[in-house]
Amino acid sequence: MRASLFITCYNDTLFPETGRAVVTLLERLSVEVEFRPGQTCCGQMHANTGFRGEAFSQARRLVRMYQDAEAVVIPSSSCVAMIRDQYPGLFEELGNEELRMQFAAMLPRVYELSEFLVDKLGVEDVGAYFPHKVTYHASCHGLRGLHLGDRPMRLLAKVRGLELAPLPNLDRCCGFGGTFSVKNGDVSSAMLAVKLEDVLGTRAEFCTALDNSCLMHLGGAMHRQFAPMKTIHMAQILASTQSQPAEVLA
Amino acid sequence: MSAVVEHSLTDRPVLDPALAPPFPVAALPVLRNPQLRKNVAHAIDVIQAKRAHLVAEKTDWQELRAAASAIKDEALAHLDAYLTQFEGRCTTAGGVVHWAADAAEARRIILEILREEKADEVIKIKTMTSAEIQLNPYLEAAGVRTYETDLAEIILQLGEDEPSHIVVPALHVNRSQVREIFARKMGLPDLSDEPKLLTAAARNYLRQKFLSVPTAISGANFLIAETGAVVIVESEGNGRMCLTLPRTMITLAGIEKVLPRFQDLEVMLQLLARSATGERMSPYTSLWTGVTPGDGPQKFHVVLLDNGRSSILASKKERQTLRCIRCAACMNACPVYRQTGGHAYGSVYPGPIGAILTPQLEHLRHAQSLPFASSLCGACYEVCPVKINIPEILIDLRAQVTDQERKTVGKFFDPMYVGLRAANVIFSRAWMFHAAQRMGRMGLKLFTRKDGWIHSLPSVGGKWTQTRDLRGLPKETFHQWWKDRGQSSKGAREHGSEAR
Amino acid sequence: MSSVADSRRQVLDRIRAATQNSAATVEQVAGAYEALPRGYVRHGTMTVRARQERFIERLREYDAEVVECATEELAATIAAQLAASGRQKFVAPAALPAEWLAAGFDWKIDRGLAASDVEQCEGVLTACFCGVAESGTIVLHHSETEGRRVITLLPDWHLCVVRASQIVETLPEYFDKCSEQGSEGAREQRSREQGSGELPRLVTWISGPSATADIEMTRIKGVHGPRFLHVVVVEDRDQGLGTRD
Repeated sequence: MRASLFITCYNDTLFPETGRAVVTLLERLSVEVEFRPGQTCCGQMHANTGFRGEAFSQARRLVRMYQDAEAVVIPSSSCVAMIRDQYPGLFEELGNEELRMQFAAMLPRVYELSEFLVDKLGVEDVGAYFPHKVTYHASCHGLRGLHLGDRPMRLLAKVRGLELAPLPNLDRCCGFGGTFSVKNGDVSSAMLAVKLEDVLGTRAEFCTALDNSCLMHLGGAMHRQFAPMKTIHMAQILASTQSQPAEVLA
Repeated sequence: MSAVVEHSLTDRPVLDPALAPPFPVAALPVLRNPQLRKNVAHAIDVIQAKRAHLVAEKTDWQELRAAASAIKDEALAHLDAYLTQFEGRCTTAGGVVHWAADAAEARRIILEILREEKADEVIKIKTMTSAEIQLNPYLEAAGVRTYETDLAEIILQLGEDEPSHIVVPALHVNRSQVREIFARKMGLPDLSDEPKLLTAAARNYLRQKFLSVPTAISGANFLIAETGAVVIVESEGNGRMCLTLPRTMITLAGIEKVLPRFQDLEVMLQLLARSATGERMSPYTSLWTGVTPGDGPQKFHVVLLDNGRSSILASKKERQTLRCIRCAACMNACPVYRQTGGHAYGSVYPGPIGAILTPQLEHLRHAQSLPFASSLCGACYEVCPVKINIPEILIDLRAQVTDQERKTVGKFFDPMYVGLRAANVIFSRAWMFHAAQRMGRMGLKLFTRKDGWIHSLPSVGGKWTQTRDLRGLPKETFHQWWKDRGQSSKGAREHGSEAR
Repeated sequence: MSSVADSRRQVLDRIRAATQNSAATVEQVAGAYEALPRGYVRHGTMTVRARQERFIERLREYDAEVVECATEELAATIAAQLAASGRQKFVAPAALPAEWLAAGFDWKIDRGLAASDVEQCEGVLTACFCGVAESGTIVLHHSETEGRRVITLLPDWHLCVVRASQIVETLPEYFDKCSEQGSEGAREQRSREQGSGELPRLVTWISGPSATADIEMTRIKGVHGPRFLHVVVVEDRDQGLGTRD
């Protein structure tokens, strides 16, 4: 099995440790990981802000780059949702037949990380060890866009040493929403405060998710408030073993 | 006492999209009002819980949603046929059907009917469509006294307030505020704040009006093309009062309210109350057809209102907006609405449906901030009983607003616009992206504290750092790490991959 | 009134332009309508007894009072309910069976009473068209045994008689029942009330007494409609008194 990692622009820039964890994890599961250096962005930020033409050119770029990949693995549920939910409309409006065909052929091979593990590789126990109390935040795009269901929970349940603290109001948005967080900064902050109350109420050591954008939002507020909790992408938990514990940034 | 009145007048929310401030600004008074936020959150949490319970009970919920959206799509696809059929059947049954191209015309038609009836007062069933066309102020100015009869609408009318929700319009008002309004306006200084007694006060206040005012105005939940019938769903009985006791009844209905057949109600009625109030059926659902001799109003008018709906119909993607059956499930599920309540939307239609409906009804001349008033979390789409893909329409409307705005000089230099244009160039070439990452790291270093975090940023970034820190950029991007790793272990890994 | 006609044309023209249809009739689009997906549950699966129990349970859930009785006990049961209500003045529709009008109470028979007269009544007694178990709904078609709409609206207390054979399980079954009205067997029964084969002109679906939750989502029973809904469910199946009516 050969998987091409689309790291996404913000993970590349802000959260390289998530990418490193994906590589560690997949290689441990005997997946050959490749990384195409020309990759940049899926176009989500532009699409969701109304820059349709710009989003289209990034979408086209991504499809051209990955159309021959055996599997594309993306550790960001919102970027996968962008590809699944918004590319078809963009290509319908602005693309040509050839591009639509390329995309249709590629789409079934695009996986969010937990989908790739559970559906494609058929594993739930990835041999991870993470002796901490963890709460799981279901990102909206993972929950309602990709319908990840209980895949993330099943993966976490098999992590040795991990104590899972259930998060109340699991389906409630953290208030990030991309440029929403600054365009409607005050509303976004109010949503964040409500979410944070639930998250901190779990008294977990870590809050995890399959999307670093929510975690950047939650983690930024935790740091501001000196909260006794850290955020960590689930890839880092799944990559963690007794001999190689997760790199956790203080 | 008069100070209180003045206060409520100056604070009266603006629900005219042409005059309302943009959403982020309009949201501020609510965000700074903990009592109001508490009222809103409490109310929608209660409805949400009830809804979830009753939806879970329906094993065929998804099939009902599929049928409902298909029925509405069919009604919209052949809207001319169904409306003319409705017109014919309603007329045969003794009703009079009027067509109004816009709000002004609908108001004029209604006033003409009232003048013919020599009506100087009118009782009303809660209708958001009448609020949309701003009927009450128009009628009052023309000398017709309007009496709202839905409990929530009475609270708002007497409190000189505006609706903040389409099903529970006064959910932002708590019992002590209701008590204050009723005590003052009904002259009941000793009234308690027990909801039961407040409700009884409203019953007494309206009873004589129901029995004496000969003209009523309603909206409609559904029009039935097949029979010419009108359907109203309600809880209190004020609707039944208005559509049974008066001599003359006027129903104002958007053209999208028509259903092809009577039997379609078997789908809609199963979805509506569960979605709207978390009940299996609302206490009262009434259907009437034109005029029935000896039973109810002997004069019946229907005003069919376009007011921008036909232009929504013209857009293939946006057309689904018109499936809406006004259940408000989307606003109850919306995490943004939960924080801001309804007034921030500057329209009688708040919440996610308002964020897509209002700008479209305004032909995007107003309310351009509304499509951005969402984190695109998708909760609205998930609960919508007629499967309106609200996030999809929000994004489409954002594109339309952006296309409009980016032509203007002011927006050309807006930091976010500049940034997004630059990002597009950067993302078109990997080397430019990598160069931008390096520059970004150097730039942000100035703001990064010793702990490795950024606590304050200028410009747009300041909106982020007002409540959250940002981790400083790591020394090495992922692709740099990958490149270094490849160079250091190339031989070994190539060997490994051959072995597999 | 020429401007009115103009608006009609203008609105219809806009709609036709938007939907890219030329003036169609419903007959022409019947095919599209018939093809709509109807995957939801139409028919229930409960036993007769379970259905009746569900109906009663759901009525009670929304604060209606329910009693059950056998056909021969009906008159006595009605009388007992009336007495227990502590009320004296009742209104009833014109065609209600005479034995339902218990002695010892003031009865006003509605043959076009003024609203102010109905308002004087403390309660109302009616039959119904149908009961829907799943939602605990009573359906009135306002026939001569169900009464004009005003009589089940103004009095504060409503006693409704539902025969067990009138209870359906699902809402779609009620709609089926409506379309069956046009069939041969049902025609005779219904023609007096509705006109054969016609869909109902007037319907009131009642699910519990009038209520509001407009103040802090606190459910308050009784606003403008009857504050009290009482239901008598009559077991009419075993006796073989008509299969459907």
